[in-house]
Amino acid sequence: MNAPGVLLLMAGLFLVLGYMGVPVAFAIMGGVLVATMFTPVSMQSMVGQMFHGIDSETLMAIPFFLLVGELMASADVTQRLIRLAQVLVGHLRGGLAQVVTLFSMFFAGISGSSAADVAVLSRTVAPEMDKEGYDRAFTAALIASASTMANLIPPSIMAVVYGATGNVSIGGLFLAGVVPGVMIGIGLMIYSYFFGPTGQMKKRAKLVEVFVAARGSALPMVIPVIIMGGILTGWFTPTEAGMVAAVYILIVLIPALRPTHISKLPGDFMYTGLLYSLPLAAVAGASAFGWMLAYLRGPDTVAIYIGQIAGTDPIMIMFLLVCLFIIVGDFVDAVPAIIIFMPIINKLTQVGDINPVHMGVVIITTLVFGLITPPYGLSLLIASKFVGVPFYRAMFRSLPLYIVFLVTITFTVVFPEVVLWLPKHVLPESVGCFKSPSGTGYICP
Amino acid sequence: MAAITEFASNRALILARHRHLKWPGLDWLEAVLMMLCGICISGFTLCVFFDVVTREIGAPWLWLQQLTTGFFAWGVFIGIAAATRRNDHIYLAEITKTMTGTKRKVIETANRVVVFAVAACMAWFGWNNAMLDMGSFRMPSLIPLTVYTISVPICGVLVMLFAVEQIVNGLKNGYEGPEDHELDLEMKI
Repeated sequence: MNAPGVLLLMAGLFLVLGYMGVPVAFAIMGGVLVATMFTPVSMQSMVGQMFHGIDSETLMAIPFFLLVGELMASADVTQRLIRLAQVLVGHLRGGLAQVVTLFSMFFAGISGSSAADVAVLSRTVAPEMDKEGYDRAFTAALIASASTMANLIPPSIMAVVYGATGNVSIGGLFLAGVVPGVMIGIGLMIYSYFFGPTGQMKKRAKLVEVFVAARGSALPMVIPVIIMGGILTGWFTPTEAGMVAAVYILIVLIPALRPTHISKLPGDFMYTGLLYSLPLAAVAGASAFGWMLAYLRGPDTVAIYIGQIAGTDPIMIMFLLVCLFIIVGDFVDAVPAIIIFMPIINKLTQVGDINPVHMGVVIITTLVFGLITPPYGLSLLIASKFVGVPFYRAMFRSLPLYIVFLVTITFTVVFPEVVLWLPKHVLPESVGCFKSPSGTGYICP
Repeated sequence: MAAITEFASNRALILARHRHLKWPGLDWLEAVLMMLCGICISGFTLCVFFDVVTREIGAPWLWLQQLTTGFFAWGVFIGIAAATRRNDHIYLAEITKTMTGTKRKVIETANRVVVFAVAACMAWFGWNNAMLDMGSFRMPSLIPLTVYTISVPICGVLVMLFAVEQIVNGLKNGYEGPEDHELDLEMKI
């Protein structure tokens, strides 16, 4: 069998097995192992690739960002952040919808997991929205859309995976993700204000109430400072910053705010220990898939196709990749998608002479959109289950919200100077800038 | 909002869901695997913590990084095995949940046969890899690479065991269960 045939067999088998209900990690490995039989590569080396795929220091940040989110959610410390969001935007039209979005922006700065965000909001704000007469389908659509910000606003697990696989600065990806993340947040707030349900109008909170809520959430709000401050000052790697944040929650936050939760910590650790293995199982399988894809010269084939249409125009290349990843994100989970397609992304980054951090943020923003699109819109699936509404109804209510995502993706592609402004000024080396020989400032390509 | 109670039950040492697909005799193994998951992430957290502390005080323990990698890798593969018994893996689709009768039995069994076959490859080829790795060492502690890579075949054997458990019980009791209509997406990231 020729290389394109083997590639098609591998990809087709993965999708067929995956949609039959085989767990993603095993579906990927099933496809890879069958494809390996048609190549001179040994099965032993492909199984070895599974281990090497996760044997990366950078990927070790993932358990910590999950642990931070789980500890915050499980200990119910997040209530304080919700209260802060309520006093800040609860009086606006569609008050609770605004609260959902603003809280998600706060929580995105603490956790890298959309699922934790959906879980927290569904347990706390969704019942309130129900009481105020919000359509449940809208509630699910909004919670799912807002939760996607966790993958853009740092710390982001997708950025860690992208950085680790593509050898791109994770600090740079974190910072560059802020603009699209905040854009999605503001877009959702604007939509809720003008087109969402009205909800019950409330009085604007008094300044004293704002102060009390801000003081109450001061301790949790230190976490983003620890994570980003540690990484940007060069004190910690992303893994270490995640660990420091987790230790801060364990030593300061929980004893101070929720001492009764201490006895439940072993359960939290066991659960997170299991939880972090799930995306990493997919990473292990996907890295073998990506290796085989590169071996069969898949990136060259795709690069030639895309090159024939886009030439070396970076914007065209990125738009074609966006189209590709919108389709991929509809069917495949983001983490394996990043790893499987990384050889192709790298190749096209070179062809278009695109800044790797810019390319990374475009891809992540596109994959984040996949979390709310059918059939595999994972955040929307979780939110609709939690809120108790059929998936198709939540999907229809999320259709207008797609505009927010499509505008953000287009903006991210077309205005690299805005997206890269923050990393360029805070972490210049991350976007390829180098120190000026004169010793003052940086020279950026 | 009754589904939200599931949030807490997911943290149980032995999951009550899919009881009809489990042999009670293997419950202890699920509990042990969950405890090992907790130990791995706790050990991993402590290692990174001490790595930072010892580095900051100017007396770094270099071997800690090897221990960190060990906890991390073992945690992943033990977690894969535990998630197989608890049916907690990431799925692209769960079409079988809407099916009943023979059709469901055939597809669910086929799915688990695929899992079994992949796990068998992990066990056999992973074992061969681990034996080869006896001659490779991690610096500076000179720990054989086998200490890490042996986690792959062990995971493979455990997954094979759980796949067989589910196939046998599924064929005997049917795969349908009350949890088909409940929330179990919480775990999937």
